[in-house]
Amino acid sequence: MDTIYTENLTKKYGDNEVLKGVNLRIKEGEFYALMGPNGSGKTTLASIIASVRSPTSGKIEIYGRKPEKAKEFLGYVPQENFSSPILTGKENLMYFAGLLGYPKKKAERIVNDLLNKIGLSEDADKRVSDYSGGMRKRLEVATVLFPGVKILILDEPTTGLDPSARRKFLGLIGEIKEEKTTILLITHIGADAELASRVGLIDEGELIAEDAPEKLKKSSGLKDVINIETAIKSEAVANVLSKFSEKQKVLETDVGYRVYCRDVEEATPNIVRALDAIGCKATRIETEKPSLEDVFFTLTEKMVREVS
Amino acid sequence: MATLNKTIKEFLRQKTILFWTIAWPILWVLIGSFSYTENVPSELVSYTRGAIAISMSVFALMTAGMANLPGNIAQDRERGLLSKLMSMSISPWRDFVGRILALVAFSSLAAILVVLVGYFCGARFSYTLIGGCQSIGFFLFIFLASAGIGMLIGTFIKHVHGAIMSGVGIAVVTAAVSGVMAPYSSLPWMLQQFARIYPVSSANSSITYLLVGKDYAGYNPLTTAQTTLTIVISVLLFAAGLAAYSRLCWRKK
Repeated sequence: MDTIYTENLTKKYGDNEVLKGVNLRIKEGEFYALMGPNGSGKTTLASIIASVRSPTSGKIEIYGRKPEKAKEFLGYVPQENFSSPILTGKENLMYFAGLLGYPKKKAERIVNDLLNKIGLSEDADKRVSDYSGGMRKRLEVATVLFPGVKILILDEPTTGLDPSARRKFLGLIGEIKEEKTTILLITHIGADAELASRVGLIDEGELIAEDAPEKLKKSSGLKDVINIETAIKSEAVANVLSKFSEKQKVLETDVGYRVYCRDVEEATPNIVRALDAIGCKATRIETEKPSLEDVFFTLTEKMVREVS
Repeated sequence: MATLNKTIKEFLRQKTILFWTIAWPILWVLIGSFSYTENVPSELVSYTRGAIAISMSVFALMTAGMANLPGNIAQDRERGLLSKLMSMSISPWRDFVGRILALVAFSSLAAILVVLVGYFCGARFSYTLIGGCQSIGFFLFIFLASAGIGMLIGTFIKHVHGAIMSGVGIAVVTAAVSGVMAPYSSLPWMLQQFARIYPVSSANSSITYLLVGKDYAGYNPLTTAQTTLTIVISVLLFAAGLAAYSRLCWRKK
């Protein structure tokens, strides 16, 4: 049985069609990442599944039921930091335990277990305003780990976290995945999406590709990526590089360009020569395997996020 | 109980809320009790101080209902907590009851503290047991009207600062023009009519009438027609706030 099933799901705000007939099937225990740039409709889709928004048309089922009839299975972590900063971590979790109707003693036991699980036992009595971004996000994820929750919907949980906090957070998600919980991760970060068993790429309200991360990369035809840092960035430089790139698509980054090649060894010296010819010096050249962000770019010519 | 616990802790731990709801009215009780009674005949000073303490406790209830409650609602909306709650299998009514009970507890604490400070500054009241009970009833209607206005503000003004400032503005302006902060007799005719319609002001006059005396109320607010008007408008404001909050704040987008 599909845990999450949508058929021709649409959502309109006035004349603006945010979702254009999304068909999504997520199986029980699956870790599914929905990746797309800002404004692509991924948060709208997540909030419809979480029963916070209504679709304009189409069908949506959670365990074969309407979302509002399946709330007891759903754990939704919105983008915003919803925990109360002037309460302690433990008080925040006790609040949610109370809302879910646990008696005080049982709530206390479950909350202590959750704090232990997310590694916040020692900071349980600190106010959330004294937590780091990563600690706060882990606390908020704990609000959906109460017994009975079978589907987690995490909306951009790693946005704004530093690399160390992000690693810790993703470690926690990895542990949750082992418990066979269905996870829907909303993200614009390719490295986060790569942890999923399946990734859906969404752009302008449409699901444009969907598969396992490696299969997506393979089917995109991308072999290697040359990351070039240049002394100057200009249209002329981009035009030169595009001649060496798949479908003439070059991704501009903060410090240079990403060029998609089938044969890096052959292309690299030619690229250096071509840049020299127009008076542009390549200050650094690195070869990388393509990321999901590169796949997204080659499919849409849009960046999922700024690549540095 | 969960929402009650959370909301009361949030009220009690925010210094600005404590200041504007408790310290500010107390400050005015102190200023009023010692500065505004210089020209009052000595036998009336304690009752004048009583009237000031009542007005300031009413103002504390107004601030709690009209500013703290919408601020709390707007804050929960702004930080995504309302979306989170909508995704959970909990009833909006449980959330509503928790918020209101927290407000009742916090408002009562504020009003009692203000009256106590007034008492220690020499405020005295003359009342019967029935009059005292009736006064508590009128305090309840002030609470209902203020909370109703607060829920309307919290529903329609989305941002925290906007909601709080609107609430403070409405509380201060309406208190100033309706006789809560100034004697009813000093108001122009138009504002006297407003003071009779505005339930917070008419209930304040009723409490003053019952606990201090008719001279301080400025008119007899305990007529059947006036009392009915006070009760009906208070309940209507609360019902309007409740309807707006439960339908609009918890409505799927």
